[in-house]
Amino acid sequence: MQRSPAHLFITFTLIGLSGFGGVLPWARRTLVEQKQWLTSQEFNALLGVCQLVPGPNIVNLAVCVGERFGGVRGAFAAVGGLMLAPMTIVILLALLYDHYGEFERVQGILRGISSVGVGLIAATGFKMLKDELDYPPMLAVIAISIVIATIYQLALGWVVAITLPLALAVAWRKAR
Amino acid sequence: MMIGLVGLFIKLSLFSLIAFGGVNALLPTLYDISVNQEGWIDPQTFIHYFAIAQAAPGPNLLTVTLIGWNAFGLAGALLATLAVCWPSCILIFYLQRVIAKLRHLQWKKTIEYSASALAVGLVLASAWQIAIRINGNWAAYALTIFSILFVLLSKRHPLYLIVLGAILGFFGFI
Repeated sequence: MQRSPAHLFITFTLIGLSGFGGVLPWARRTLVEQKQWLTSQEFNALLGVCQLVPGPNIVNLAVCVGERFGGVRGAFAAVGGLMLAPMTIVILLALLYDHYGEFERVQGILRGISSVGVGLIAATGFKMLKDELDYPPMLAVIAISIVIATIYQLALGWVVAITLPLALAVAWRKAR
Repeated sequence: MMIGLVGLFIKLSLFSLIAFGGVNALLPTLYDISVNQEGWIDPQTFIHYFAIAQAAPGPNLLTVTLIGWNAFGLAGALLATLAVCWPSCILIFYLQRVIAKLRHLQWKKTIEYSASALAVGLVLASAWQIAIRINGNWAAYALTIFSILFVLLSKRHPLYLIVLGAILGFFGFI
């Protein structure tokens, strides 16, 4: 199924604009739950591939979805839509911050929103975890990746380097 | 100015190439480059701009946009954003095509299953790490946990949560 670059641009503008504290939860909500362009499993797989590449994952996701539904022009449209409006808003906010940033109430609002934002990221992780429940050995791989990233605090390049061989081995069996 | 902009573009492009797991996963490195090495921004402003990028709608990489803005104005903001995006855009574009064309079904499924498991782990780990960085008191953690349950158990739009967070923060609870 193909979509026009304009359609992709608008869809990703809406995703970018509603993505408070991280866009991933809204990308999933829009692409999987509302528009149903992707199934939950397809979304996880695509996001997984995007995480294998360094750089901002959500931009990688826009490239992948844009390319899948609209080729090269679709990829440009999706990334442009994702970035343009939020960039404009954040620069306007920076201008406001120059004037009002020292007020304690303003900083309190920013803190409150950040605490919600991190909850949204975690909730997306738990929703994705549900799709992994059908093959329990994979849960062990996921647990290991979380432990070495959080408790041992290794850089994510190392987390990927250590977990990937394990994940490939388990996935090879799952794919049979 | 011109030399500064070129330096900004090159440094941030290189940063992007090592940023596995996204910009927030490598926030300490970004801090080191922009505050200590290059002097694009002072420590206090860096932390506040990070909060704004978190609070504003849009990708977390907007922290980088604001660093560019602080150092070189509008041109800096545009170049910094472009620098952090282009390397991975090109890599992922070709990687996705290669994976889509794979004929061997078991290989294709293996790559997708393992990448998907890795994604779940990285998203949960990153949420954990960011929570530890930004949550300052028990109320902030309670709000984070409430947000997780709200999204998992309710069908309402998460924007309600953003408003709740802003109100609680305004009255000094967080």
